[in-house]
Amino acid sequence: MILALKSRKTLFGLLLILLFPAVAFTQNLNGQVFDRSDKNTVLPGASLVWAGTTSGTLSDSKGTFTLPFSTQTNKLVISFIGYKPDTITVKPKELFLRVYLEESGSLQEVEITAKQDRFDAKTPIKTEIITSRDLEKSACCNLAESFETNASVEVSTTDAVSGAKQIQMLGLDGAYTLLTTDNVPALQGLATPFRLNYLSGTYIDNIDIIKGTGSVLNGYESISGQVNVKLKDPEKADRVFVNLYGNDLGKWDANLNVGHSFSEKLSTVLMLHTAQLHNRVDRNDDGFMDQPLGTQYNVYNKWKYTSGRFVSEVGLNALRENRIGGQTSYKEGSGAASGNYGTESLTDRVSGYTKLSLTSKNKPYESLGLILSGSNHKFDSEYGFRNYDGEQQSALARFIFQSAIGTTAHTYKLGASFGHENLRENFEDTLMTRKEYIPGIFGEYTYNNAHNLTVVAGARTDFHNLYGTVFTPRLHVKYDLNPNNIFRISGGKGFRVANPIAENSGALVSSRRFIFQEKLQPEEAWNTGGSFTRYFTLGGKPGTFIADYYYTTFQNQVVADMYSVPEAVIFTNLEGRSFSNSFQAEVQYELAKGLDVKAAYKYFDVKSSYEGKLMDRPMNPKNRFFVNAGYATAFDKWRFDATVQWFGNRSLPTIADHAGNVETNRTADPFSVLNSQVTRSFKHWDIYVGGENLLNFKQKDPIMNADQPFSHGFDASMVWGPISGRVIYAGLRYKLK
Amino acid sequence: MKTFKVLFTAFTLLIFGLNAQAQGKKTESIKIKTSAVCNMCKATIEKGMAYEKGVQKAELDVASQMLTVQYRADKTNVETLRTAVNQLGYDADEAVANEKAYNKLDDCCKKDKGVH
Repeated sequence: MILALKSRKTLFGLLLILLFPAVAFTQNLNGQVFDRSDKNTVLPGASLVWAGTTSGTLSDSKGTFTLPFSTQTNKLVISFIGYKPDTITVKPKELFLRVYLEESGSLQEVEITAKQDRFDAKTPIKTEIITSRDLEKSACCNLAESFETNASVEVSTTDAVSGAKQIQMLGLDGAYTLLTTDNVPALQGLATPFRLNYLSGTYIDNIDIIKGTGSVLNGYESISGQVNVKLKDPEKADRVFVNLYGNDLGKWDANLNVGHSFSEKLSTVLMLHTAQLHNRVDRNDDGFMDQPLGTQYNVYNKWKYTSGRFVSEVGLNALRENRIGGQTSYKEGSGAASGNYGTESLTDRVSGYTKLSLTSKNKPYESLGLILSGSNHKFDSEYGFRNYDGEQQSALARFIFQSAIGTTAHTYKLGASFGHENLRENFEDTLMTRKEYIPGIFGEYTYNNAHNLTVVAGARTDFHNLYGTVFTPRLHVKYDLNPNNIFRISGGKGFRVANPIAENSGALVSSRRFIFQEKLQPEEAWNTGGSFTRYFTLGGKPGTFIADYYYTTFQNQVVADMYSVPEAVIFTNLEGRSFSNSFQAEVQYELAKGLDVKAAYKYFDVKSSYEGKLMDRPMNPKNRFFVNAGYATAFDKWRFDATVQWFGNRSLPTIADHAGNVETNRTADPFSVLNSQVTRSFKHWDIYVGGENLLNFKQKDPIMNADQPFSHGFDASMVWGPISGRVIYAGLRYKLK
Repeated sequence: MKTFKVLFTAFTLLIFGLNAQAQGKKTESIKIKTSAVCNMCKATIEKGMAYEKGVQKAELDVASQMLTVQYRADKTNVETLRTAVNQLGYDADEAVANEKAYNKLDDCCKKDKGVH
């Protein structure tokens, strides 16, 4: 009897053990998703996923859902297009979960992510983010310096005199990267030479970097990638923000931002920026100023109006910049006739945009958007005896409709755009004009299975008045093997009309003749590639590993040939192949508490055909290393940051000295650059001190035949390394929230 | 290289100096009930309080919304600390949050969200 009882107990226990997991497995969570403001509206197609897992489901047409409880977590992430995502802690025995989502009210094209991971795990297109905290690590004060602590984008100087800078992605010129501000194409065409100076670092909230082709919504450009600069949001802007910066070259910057909310609906931010250099510095004793003298005044005003389902944004920008470079003896306005070599440029630019978006009343995933933008860019410049002036008017209207098919697993965007470009360039007394009218239509379909697969397929057709019909297809696929291992592939076509003089402004500062041999055709290229992102934890510390590879091949390219003839740059259409192979592997890891380290290796193989011969694109190192270390004490009271970049060998163009001796197959040796910064924060104040190029590496003779600037061999465009040597700077920031 | 060494030494001395200064006096502790609702609020409040004069340590328990502040009585007082919490956009005991600061908080930090 006792035995029987015992065995009965055992049996019961056994049954329990057997039953319990079964119960745990079959137990489902039921619930329904509603609109928070209108609690009678159900939301069909909302995504419900257990946090950190791939198990999830979508709500059905009545907004209801059923999904098994997770053994790993009790946090459920609910997201739905047009609504703010929410995370809910589910009680173990929750029988019926009611979820109320709040409308986000934000423009779909300007989604602002509060999450500040540097590599976003959610976006179907690989997106790297330079956060506002990263921006503070760079030596102030414009977009050119904003990429100093980032491995994917590099900034190079185009020549040793004018101070023009270009970004580079995938080893390709900045012209192939689409620059947008708040997702509106910006600073294109003739603004290219100095465009990185036109956006102050203090205007910027954060920067998204997209490698490979971007979305078709932003046009047919973006061959190597897209850099989207998100400017300060009027709703979140500080009441007062002041920044003062000065360096030992005598350059100083001053910035003032003022933010104000008139009501819950209307807010604005006014941003002012000035940059000044009036000190003639020649540290390499070549008789030329290392940096051009300059004065810039820049103002940006942004407004935001939010009222229920209607959101509107307006941005206005105006700037004036004056630059004088050349020999230290050169006097402003004296011209080349004075016998001294100088470069001058005066730029006036105004631009503006407006965005309007309206969300459907009962379908929050459905919205209409209208984006209008326009600019007028005017410049007048001189490079020795050469004069180059011009003007460009740009206008772009885009209309986008966004909705879903059935559930929000299938969403689409449809739209139409109309672009207009009016360019006038006067180069060495030759007038060139171009008028473009570009109506176009586009569509983008997104499939998202709510666990691990996202497909974005887009295409656009533009009817260009000069170059006919342009068809641009693009595809992006993201597959999560699990939440920590993410694969992405992308492929697509890009098209753009080159502006050869503006895009090769460096060569203006040389004795090279500009030769246009034939009528130049638009550039066309295919870009395909992929990336693998792994989020890992090692020794309790989080890290990220990213490897990517992109291949770009040109069907046509405007080739600036500086190889074939030593004293010329010859512009031709591509004959033969032109491509870029780009590979990058990067690790980010928190080595110790507060100590973040990034290390990257980059390989670029970029070749073009010059007179039928396939050769390296000049000035482009094949191998590069990047290491960044940042240490912050508790609550960021102290921040230390250092970046080392190493550049390998690179090919240089053919040159001839003034005696006519031709040198081909030239290369430049490897070198490293070290930048560092220390910041001390107080309640409202930050003080920072830093140094650029601390190893004090200087390119020997960045200007060829600097002593005879009007001779045949003069060339300041052969610059591949730092000119100024070490630069020390200091500054302060004041914030009133 | 020499510049580095000098800079490094200067910073080390500065940090040690600051620490040594802080250790001499006695500290007091206070608990303040706040309107914090999530971990983001915790980060905001702890960071904000760390920059207040006289505050040595600030720790928030999200579940109970209680903020424990260790401070130096000769440098600050409870009223000032409460005001500091209000300026960050949160209620402190009976003192209500500064409206402007509250409006700028992220949506997940708004009072009506409840502790999550």
